[in-house]
Amino acid sequence: MKVAVVGKGGSGKTTTSAIVARTMARMGHYVVALDCDTNPNLGVSLGIGDDETERLLAMRQGLEAGDEEHARGWDALLDRFGTDAPDGVRLAVVSRIENPEPG
Amino acid sequence: MRVAFVGKGGVGKSMIAGTFARLLARRGEMVLAVDTDPMPGLNFMLGLPVVDVAIPDDAVVEGLPGQERFVLRPGLDAVGAVEAFAPIGADGVRYLQFGNLRGPVSTQFRSQAAFRQIVHDLPEDRWHVVGDLPGGTRQAMFGWGKFADTIAIVVEPTPKSISTARRLARMREATWAPKDLVVVANRVRCATDATDIAARLGLDVVGAIPDDVEVSKADRAGLAPLDGAPHSPFVAAVAGLVDQFVSQYATKEVAR
Repeated sequence: MKVAVVGKGGSGKTTTSAIVARTMARMGHYVVALDCDTNPNLGVSLGIGDDETERLLAMRQGLEAGDEEHARGWDALLDRFGTDAPDGVRLAVVSRIENPEPG
Repeated sequence: MRVAFVGKGGVGKSMIAGTFARLLARRGEMVLAVDTDPMPGLNFMLGLPVVDVAIPDDAVVEGLPGQERFVLRPGLDAVGAVEAFAPIGADGVRYLQFGNLRGPVSTQFRSQAAFRQIVHDLPEDRWHVVGDLPGGTRQAMFGWGKFADTIAIVVEPTPKSISTARRLARMREATWAPKDLVVVANRVRCATDATDIAARLGLDVVGAIPDDVEVSKADRAGLAPLDGAPHSPFVAAVAGLVDQFVSQYATKEVAR
């Protein structure tokens, strides 16, 4: 199953995503949570705390600045740009999509 | 004054910016409210229905060598463009939009160049500019709030809003850093909410706006706070913020 959560700012996308991810994981599924937001906060809602959330953001910023290399393949991405969150969820902060609209 | 409101999505930027702009206009000032969100929402706070304010292509000509690529056509200045293209919202506030998602970005170059020139050139002694940026950090960190000399980060007493504010505070290190970077606490429920935010960010909290059920009710009914809850604590707090900004700018004028 692949689910993307979208909506207006402040409507609860991040909180909903985190609860769905952890609930699925508690049911015994392997769950990957991807934070695609330019302002990523999913780590906070999953419960890994501010510092670890900032560390993942800093890694992505290093990537954008050219200090880090892109991961080759999904498994390398989850390994290098990811972290373990509660209930066995694997969280990764992924790079922005190509040429998004402003905002 | 030139103020831009930034912050995490849903913290109340549009609501505060719209109310602020209207209360400033009620003091007899000329106010341009600018919205750079590709999903605009500030218009609702100005009592304007869904609008797509496009600046027409023929308002703009190709710039001469040494100028920007596109400039307002000869004979049309920023004030003229505001009068011609910015609709009049509640309390006489003019409303200018950076541009909806109408299609590929390339088709909007002319309109967006005009927007930037209008906001840049508008004479500061006669016009106030109140800006509302999209939620999150992207536009703000790319300098879309450069037109403002004061950037106000709107913060709710929640961890995600505070960490977003901390990221936004890095604007102080940008080459175009605003003269003033301040924090407005929104949806505060007790006195410690605002002091906690100040402590966690290390920034001045210049205003504390209460969590206000009257305003939530008005919002659900599709009404701006000034129309649906004019006597609410929210409106009183934003009025206090306007007073504070007006007197601070007056002090700075004297100092110059």
